[in-house]
Amino acid sequence: MNGTASTYTATAHTNGYEFTGGSGYDLPEYPFLPPPELQGGPTARHPVVIVGAGITGLTLACSLARLGVRALLIDEDNTVGVKGASSRGICYTQKSLEIFERLGIYPRIEAKGVQWSVGRTFAGTDEVYSFDLRQQGSFHLSRQPPFINIQQFYIEGFLVERIRELGGVELRWQNRLVAFEQNPEFATLSVETPAGRYQIEAEHVIDATGSHSPLRQWLQVPFDSRRGDDRWCIADVRFSKHPPVERHTWIEAPFNEGRAVWQHLMADEVWRLDYQMAPNADPEEVSREDVVRERLARQFGSDVEVEIVWVGPYAYRSECVHALRHGRVFLMGDSAKVVSPFGARGGNTGVADADNLAWKLAAVLKGKADPLLLDSYNDERLEAAQQNVCVTNRTARFLRPADGTERLFRQAAIGLAKQYPFARSLINTGRMAVANPYSHSSACTYAPGSAAGQSVQNVRFAWADGTRGCINDLLDWTAGDLLVLVFGDLSPAALQRLRRLCLDAPVRSVQVLGPEAVAQAQEHVRDPQGHLQGACHVFGHAWALVRPDGYLAATGESVNGHLVSAIERSLGLRGEAT
Amino acid sequence: MKQNAHFQDADAFYEQLLDAHEGLNREQAELFNARLILLLANQVGDARVLKECIDAARQLPQGAGMGVGVE
Repeated sequence: MNGTASTYTATAHTNGYEFTGGSGYDLPEYPFLPPPELQGGPTARHPVVIVGAGITGLTLACSLARLGVRALLIDEDNTVGVKGASSRGICYTQKSLEIFERLGIYPRIEAKGVQWSVGRTFAGTDEVYSFDLRQQGSFHLSRQPPFINIQQFYIEGFLVERIRELGGVELRWQNRLVAFEQNPEFATLSVETPAGRYQIEAEHVIDATGSHSPLRQWLQVPFDSRRGDDRWCIADVRFSKHPPVERHTWIEAPFNEGRAVWQHLMADEVWRLDYQMAPNADPEEVSREDVVRERLARQFGSDVEVEIVWVGPYAYRSECVHALRHGRVFLMGDSAKVVSPFGARGGNTGVADADNLAWKLAAVLKGKADPLLLDSYNDERLEAAQQNVCVTNRTARFLRPADGTERLFRQAAIGLAKQYPFARSLINTGRMAVANPYSHSSACTYAPGSAAGQSVQNVRFAWADGTRGCINDLLDWTAGDLLVLVFGDLSPAALQRLRRLCLDAPVRSVQVLGPEAVAQAQEHVRDPQGHLQGACHVFGHAWALVRPDGYLAATGESVNGHLVSAIERSLGLRGEAT
Repeated sequence: MKQNAHFQDADAFYEQLLDAHEGLNREQAELFNARLILLLANQVGDARVLKECIDAARQLPQGAGMGVGVE
């Protein structure tokens, strides 16, 4: 479906703040400093200009600072959070937390946020489905937990402070992009500030402006769009009640006129309560304080004392552009795709977008990779965007079924789920975000049985001296270069070839050994429980080529030409897809 | 009768099922569903399993009346 339905009336969307209320949060404010261009300086050409200091733009800025790449970030506001509305994302995936650990802000997130792993879904008063992520798959192998809930602006504030600490990336607040043009070599941006307007040039422009991207409009970027009549209203509250630290979702809540409700804890003892409203409900009406209080009383009883921190009504839409790169411009986060909030696939996708492009930009700007590598950002993150749009649209359809057949099938599924376990898999209150795999990237080398294109968890191993390390420690050590993990013993010839490779290419290699084996390479670690091997999906004698974003570029058995060509491909030196 | 999930991809199936109903009026939708049930039943084949499925479908969970909508 392209374009918009004519019957649709404009309502505050996901990032809307028109009818927000509550006592709110104290947000940091960052000073406006007149840029040098307004003090007679020449028009500078920057290698990277990031537009938008939301979670996506700040993650990219921090990643570039960590990799030693100079960049400029401009934002129209002077704080984090949307114009003081300060809510939005709350739920951060293991993959995002692993990325934040590399950036150096994970300890602060861990200290401030709330860990959870149990989710329960109710229909009426019956529990129809529950999960504990710690018991599922391999979530427990990473140094990071399955999820942490924390208000988005905290992460943004941590990133700002970390960027300042690292240096090299300049943050310019109250600098609004007002015009743009580009040629094949560079773009020219006009920026408006309280002190006047100026121009800058940029070799790479990152559009992280979010769901109302001006760049997307100026560039007339084609996109698919879908919007419906589903309306929700968030109440972030503190109260005298202490529900369990679990994700509770109701498909048909008896205390919300048979509609859906979400209940989740985040930092500062604040509960996120998200109520589904009647289709096309009036956002002003549903967010009025007395109406919100009445709704809360229906769920928790009239004797519960409630402090309303924030109220935000919203509608959602889904959008996905057809390409993430337009000349010198790279779209990421909500500029590239907009999804409903179900499953935490908005902010987490933006963080992964930024992590994906950061190392590629760094490698290209340092002359270690071919500029063609940047096109793999589109291969990989467009696939992720499309997948996340597809998954969230399915959830939206389950939560707001069309009258008739769709509602009938939902009724059947809910009834069966109460009787038979199989039907629980049809109950869809959000499929939690994952590290999206890349199945057709020009930078990955695919082979039967290989897990190329999949994310490697931040699993533990033992350093040569017996102390504990994690994949992220190795990725810190490679400092933006590729990492070859070689499992098992090596022939002298293979060892020689590896040394050569590490001299000739931006690659570092580490031998991974069992508890007793004799080390041949100076750089070696021990993997007594096989977690490294499991995370790379290899067995026995093998190698795994791990990228700076913790994704597998390729795996193989012998240290031979296959490894060499895989390295070349992951540096953009072999353009053709495999 | 299998009581645990046997779907390779439950969400994708559910989406295909709803997509297939788009644009059908009530009568057409009922005919589509009847055809689909017969097709799927032939995939199952086993007489005992089919009878168990029919019995299970007739047995509504407590509190839900046959033909009464959710709202």
